[in-house]
Amino acid sequence: MNPSLMKGKGLVMGTARGEALVSTMAFTFAHGVDPSTGVVTDVRSDVRGKNVKGKILFYPFGKGSTTASSWFLETVRLGNNPVALVTEGADLSAVIGSVMAKIVYGREIPVVAGIARTAFARLKSGTYVTLDGVRGEVRASR
Amino acid sequence: MHLDSAQERMLRGEMGEARQFAMEIASKVGDAVGADQLVPIKSAHVLAHYSSLHDAGVEVLERFAGAGGKFAVPTSVDPASIDLQNWRSFGIPESYATQQFRLCDAYARMGGMRCWTCAQYQVCNFPKEGEVVAWAESSAVVFANSVLGSRSNKITAGMDVACAVLGLTPQFGMLLDENRRARVSFRLSLKGLTDLDFRSIGFFIGRTAGARVPALLGLPNSVTSDQIKHLGAAAAAAGPVTMIHFPGITPGSKTVSEAAGGERVEEVEITRAALGEIEADLNQTSELPDLVAFGVPHLSANELGELARMLEGRKLKGGVRMYAYTSSQAYDMAERTGISETIEQAGARISQSTDAEISPLKALGFDTVLTNSAKLAEIVSSEGEVSVGYASQREIIDRVTS
Repeated sequence: MNPSLMKGKGLVMGTARGEALVSTMAFTFAHGVDPSTGVVTDVRSDVRGKNVKGKILFYPFGKGSTTASSWFLETVRLGNNPVALVTEGADLSAVIGSVMAKIVYGREIPVVAGIARTAFARLKSGTYVTLDGVRGEVRASR
Repeated sequence: MHLDSAQERMLRGEMGEARQFAMEIASKVGDAVGADQLVPIKSAHVLAHYSSLHDAGVEVLERFAGAGGKFAVPTSVDPASIDLQNWRSFGIPESYATQQFRLCDAYARMGGMRCWTCAQYQVCNFPKEGEVVAWAESSAVVFANSVLGSRSNKITAGMDVACAVLGLTPQFGMLLDENRRARVSFRLSLKGLTDLDFRSIGFFIGRTAGARVPALLGLPNSVTSDQIKHLGAAAAAAGPVTMIHFPGITPGSKTVSEAAGGERVEEVEITRAALGEIEADLNQTSELPDLVAFGVPHLSANELGELARMLEGRKLKGGVRMYAYTSSQAYDMAERTGISETIEQAGARISQSTDAEISPLKALGFDTVLTNSAKLAEIVSSEGEVSVGYASQREIIDRVTS
């Protein structure tokens, strides 16, 4: 298997490229990311202090408040959003946030799920990644 | 996802702009999650508080309302970001209140029930066993699935209003039998559980279960719906939990085996040491707080009564505020029964129709919050602006009153 290729399922279509930001813990935009900057504020996150803006954000699954999709949408409104999301379990907040981003602000933010945490945990934050939300493919440059 | 002819017409805009907007959202989300069809719902519960919806959420709700959108099913709403009656006396800035009232106005124009609470199942929205609902509010979704035996996914902001306008939701996730089966079983043999223990147990389950549906064995027979409310809220704050099987309480789950559909699942013992770790994690400061917050999720009238009994004859120390958050309905009952008076005599206040985790705590000048709510502790520390202490109601009252 090509170690730089991960295959999951595309939930929201589109393509994206950018640096990876990799969390291996439950993640939420609700109260956990400051929409006015894109900085992760959650003290229980392993990517606290990092910025999601322009990144391809990896995390295993969501947690917490059902407001996460609106926090996400506000980061989109302010232009501080990640360019794509990759999860292990389908995170409904991510899906809804991304669908709303397209309908309300015309921004395409693909979502790929079904990639095991063990697969993306090896990826270093900052690695350049391309993502195809139609094929569900995530490719890391080495 | 298959749409029937009426739904297709909605999508084409033949049944109004609001339904088209709603159908566009619901059909795209349905496709993304692999749903086959949209199914009718009995009720909806939506979000309309400014602190989490932000300006983007105001735009979305006003777009629905401005397009003539009406809720197709009985719809309740989560707390607002301000006490809708007494916001001025709680120090809320006018500009902040204005944004919240824009949301209130859009929501009211769409025909929603004006019971601003996160414990709607104790106040105004009571689905029966087997009924499909589309609810936002993670703690309420856990209660609906686990105690009422109704079926809801954790519908998040934007999609919540779309479902309410359509009276439909995509059929996936917790609406389907196969996804409701327990995949991990927690066992509790600890005795003498405090209010804090119920929250810490929930938090431990939420953190440990991951994406698996948990069951919990060993709750005492005396367990109340309020205790389960707080346990479920803590679980949902800590992880993606949307249901906990409580054998003997959850409809259709008399035993763990029944909850798990006959399969064997991993068992996890909940130890005192594990709860101690949760407490240590959530309790980030022992400083004297400037705000004590009870009621995330909202306290019931019973819980307000209990708080009043604990506060009777005591006085809050200088520099400390104590707010008990509740629904307007429970607030009214507390007013009529003298509960409010006792609470106020101790120097505390009841805040209605809003809640601590969605209040602008930092802007109101609070730097340290003390609470028995694991959900609040988790959220406050996630934002990283206000430090938080976590202790039982009894211990908090002993610490901050004389």
